[in-house]
Parts: sequence; structure tokens; C-alpha cells
Amino acid sequence: MMKIGSYIYLLVILILIYSCKKEEGCMDPSALNYNNDAQIDNGSCNYEINNIEGCMDSLALNYNPEATIENESCIYFSITPYIIETPYGFPNMNIPSDNPMTVEGVFLGEKLFKDPILSANNTLACIDCHQQNFSFSEPNQFSTGINNIQGTRNASALINIGWNTSFNWDGSSLTLEKQAFEPVTNPIEMHNSWSNVEIVLNLDSDYPGLFKAAFNINYIDSSHIVKAIAQYERTLISANSKLDRYLNNEEQLTVSELNGYAIFNTEKGDCFHCHASQLFMDNLFHNNGLDLEPFLDLGRAKVTSNALDNGKFKTPTLRNIEMTAPYMHDGRFATLEEVVEHYDSGGKYSTTVDPLMKKLGIGLQLSNQEKKDLVAYLKTLTDNEFITQ
Amino acid sequence: MKKIFLFFILIFFFFSACKKEEGCMDPTATNYNSEATLDSGDCNYVPVNVIIHFNHYVNGTELVANEMIYTNPSNENYSIQTLRYLISDITLHTNNETETLLDEVHFIDISIDSTLILNIPHINYKNYTSISFTMGLDSIKNNTNLFLNENFFPSFVWPEFLGGGYHYMQLEGDFNTVFNGYATHTGATNGVDFSFNKTLPIADITNININMEITNWYKNPETLNLTSDGIMGNIDKQVILQANGIEDVFSVN
Repeated sequence: MMKIGSYIYLLVILILIYSCKKEEGCMDPSALNYNNDAQIDNGSCNYEINNIEGCMDSLALNYNPEATIENESCIYFSITPYIIETPYGFPNMNIPSDNPMTVEGVFLGEKLFKDPILSANNTLACIDCHQQNFSFSEPNQFSTGINNIQGTRNASALINIGWNTSFNWDGSSLTLEKQAFEPVTNPIEMHNSWSNVEIVLNLDSDYPGLFKAAFNINYIDSSHIVKAIAQYERTLISANSKLDRYLNNEEQLTVSELNGYAIFNTEKGDCFHCHASQLFMDNLFHNNGLDLEPFLDLGRAKVTSNALDNGKFKTPTLRNIEMTAPYMHDGRFATLEEVVEHYDSGGKYSTTVDPLMKKLGIGLQLSNQEKKDLVAYLKTLTDNEFITQ
Repeated sequence: MKKIFLFFILIFFFFSACKKEEGCMDPTATNYNSEATLDSGDCNYVPVNVIIHFNHYVNGTELVANEMIYTNPSNENYSIQTLRYLISDITLHTNNETETLLDEVHFIDISIDSTLILNIPHINYKNYTSISFTMGLDSIKNNTNLFLNENFFPSFVWPEFLGGGYHYMQLEGDFNTVFNGYATHTGATNGVDFSFNKTLPIADITNININMEITNWYKNPETLNLTSDGIMGNIDKQVILQANGIEDVFSVN
């Protein structure tokens, strides 16, 4: 009896165990290995393989980690050199070796230049104070920042600045890259912080890809932002004015323009010493007798702390000068006629006034017609292609 | 047979008499061969640094810029604020007409210290006895497009309208009163070459001083007044400045 009893006992246990053991398997009917009998899903379901085509090379710009089929679409970091054509009579452009010109960099720089995203409240772009219609300057005497505060100097025209050896009216920046750092954080300009700019650009839908293409970087930082902007600024080249066409025997100047040309290029007007060569500037700083001392703005001396530089400012190019009113570092003259009048009257004495202002208080003593001729000549430096390209 | 032998001996003597000792024949070379009778052209020299200082004087004392402290030969008070000039074809010479070009063109600006000294390394030490240079640029060199990438471009450009090329010199300041500026600018007025060459003896090539006596631009042989009118188109004044410049503006020691 005892033996039968223990058999039954074992059987019951066996049945119990058997009934506890559930069938494991894939329980999803849409899977290829669906197990109808399975009572426990063991996560082994195989689905129909969704073949994802894409670039499978992790070194490529468009690497797709989920791709299962290589479709040979990989794009690698390959920049296209941007060729600067040096106009006749211009020197080679001084391009920093760590920021070579590329088509991708220039494209990105132009987008940044025109995008208010760089300003704290997304309202002000570089181009708002450097407007193409005004040869990348602006018609207001002073520019207004995002907080409605005005500066104290006239926005410089960005024209042929790739040939400048320093930037700003006082030459405080030695490269375009360094200069581009300033307006973004200046409280009276874009009033942003670079850390904020970096966050915003890295979260943007377009910029990370554009920076990747231009510089092969995965994280956008300020140094590459200014590099792109500087590359774009170096493409702002003007060398197709009426005067250029005249010198190339393609167009004739009027009698008045030719008279102005002679006044400009002799010591009668003596404009050419500072507005020298085909660049129409000398990359130097001068005090042209605008004010008596003490100076409201020390100009170059703010950078050098040298009293001999008091009241000196960088010579601007005269190319497209017709479009870049008002004139002088503080935009004090509204018209070219006023500028000519200043030189004609000889300027004021100060300790640092340039010796080339040779007759202070007397000036050039041009006739009214000669003044008109000089202005007419200055307008032959207008390059309409530059503001439409 | 004997005759043939004699003939060979004769020929041998003939050739050995012709054969000269080859070697370096320059006594300043390190491998000078005093017995050489034929220059082998493989002289070795000790390389040295040639250093040239450009110094500027007014009436014999060192120039002090920006002060109205000078009086010129026409009895005008004047100051010197700007002095920039070009020296070209700077060349060392030995007595036997060997020459070595040190620098094609050098720009001097008294406000830029680095331009006041010219250091040319690795020049073969030879028995150089004189230095020559051109004040300004001669007519072959005086082409605007030749120096677009030099440090004196664009400030030294001479307008095409006045003949083109570059200024040789820009000497500027005030005279009589601080309201009058003068600009003694020299160059190829209307394309006429006013550059001039000077050859002056030197003693030590590792320490050459080229001195400009600024006052002498305005005297000897002809006295020249300062003026607020430009002289860049004035051929007569350019002729005088060239003549005065050749006379005694430059000295070397």
C-alpha cells in the first residue's frame, strides 16, 4: 500500500510541476517565429528584416548607425577651395593659414552674417548695420544696438577689407576673425554671450550640418563662427567701378571727372597719399584736422596709449564712397561735398595733425568748379555690381 | 728606336709643363691654396652675418622727431615728423670686382624700429672693401606692380598720373609755424629717373652704418627752401634734391 501511495504522490508532484512549466517563445503573431503554444514571451521574436539603406561608414559625414545596407551614399569631409581673384593692382590678400577660404565656409559665413540668431533677442544681424545697398555700411551716423543704445562711431563699409591690415577705426583688431568676436557680445550692439550663441546654434536644425561641412566639427564653437564670418567678409571685393573701366580703356570719363582725377592725384588736392593705390587707402592712421584738442575720441591712441596717436583714425577706402555716407569716424559729414569742404578749408590745428594737412586754416583753396570735379571723380569709384551681386 | 724613345720623353715633359696646380686662389677662403695656378672655383668661406644700421642725423646730431627744433640752410625753423625711404640694390664689393647682392629693396621708416636695421645672415666672408646702394628705385625697378606685397605698399605708391612707381622718400614735418606742413617727397616725377647710386668704402661688414644727414638734402650744391606746395610734379626741385642727395647726404662707417 505504502508503495502505491508514494507513486501517486510522485505523480501528483510531477503533474504539478509539469503544469507549472510554461512554454517559452515568441508570442507576437506578426513575428516570423511566432510560437502559438508559447505562454511566456522570451523576447526572441524575429521580424521581417526592414532593410535600411544608408551610409555605413562611421567616418562619413552622413553615417547612419541604423543602416543595414550600404548604398554607397557616404559623403566625406571634402571642402571646395574658394578662389579669390586678385584685382589688377591689388596685393595678395592676407588670409590666415588656419582659416583657408572654402565655398562651404563662405556659404556658412554669409548665412551667419545675415542671421539675427547671433543677437541676444534674435533681432539684429551683422547685415543690419552693414547693409549691402550702402556698400555694407549704414546710412545712420551711429548704429543702434538691440537695447536701443547707439554707438559713437560710424559703421565701417565692409569693402575690400580682406586687404586691410587692421580693423575698426582705431585698428584695435588685427584680423577679421578677432573683429567678428566683438559685436556679438558688445552690450550696445548684439549684447549676446558666446556661450549662448553656441547653445542656440548647436540646437539649430541647419547650422550643425553646415559647420560639419565647412570645418568638419561636431560641436559649434565661437572660433569657428567667427572664421566663417571672416571668410564671407573676405569675398566682399569691389574692383569694377567706372574708374576701373576707364583705366582699362573700356569707358571714358567726363571732363569734370578727369579734372577731379587730376586734382586727386596731384598735390593740388593731395588725396592720393592716404587714399593710395588701387585700394584707395594706406592701411595707416592719420589725424586729418577735424578737431581741436582735447579730443572727444582719442582714436588710435586708445589702442597704442601713445600720445602721438591721439586723434588718429584709420584711412577708409574711397571705393563706393558715394554709397557710404555719412563720413568720418563719427559720421559728422552727411555729404561728399561737406568732406571736400573740410579739406578745402584746411582743417584745425592739433599736436598730432598730419603734416600733409599742409596749410591749416587755409586749405586747398579750390574753386567751386574744382570741388564739383573732385566729387564727380569720387563718384567714379562707385561699383553697382558690388551692391547687387 | 732611340729616336722614338726620345720623342716620348719630349712629349712627357711637354705635358707636365702644361699641367697647372688647381685649387682655391682666394686668400680670404678657408681652403686657400697658395700654390694653385688655376682657380678650381671651389673656395670655402666662413659665413658671417652682415648687419646694416640706418642712422639719421640733423646738423650732425641724432634725429629727434616731432619737435620744432631745427633750422635749415634757408634759416627756416622746422620739425621732422615723417621720414621714410627706399634703398635698393644694396651690394658688397671686393677690390677684384666680386660683388654680392645683399638686398634688392629695403624700406626704412623712422617710426618702425625693425626697419632701421638690416640683418643678412650667411654671407661668405670675403675681403669686401665697399658697399653700393641706390637711393630710391631705378627705372627698371620703379614699377608699381613689382612690389605690391612689400611693406611699403600702398603708402609709398606714386600716382600713375605723376609717372607711376613708388616714392623714393617721404620727408615731412612743419616749418616756420605749426600751421605749415612741408612734404619733401622724391621720386620719378613724370617718369624721369631721379634715383642715384652711391658707392662708399667699408671696413667691417658685420657692422655697417649707413647714415643720412637730413639737412644736406636742402644744401650743397644748391640751397632749397621748404614749401607747403607739393614738389612731386616739380622737375626743377627734383633735380636739385637729386644733386644734393648725391653730394653728401649719405655716409658710411
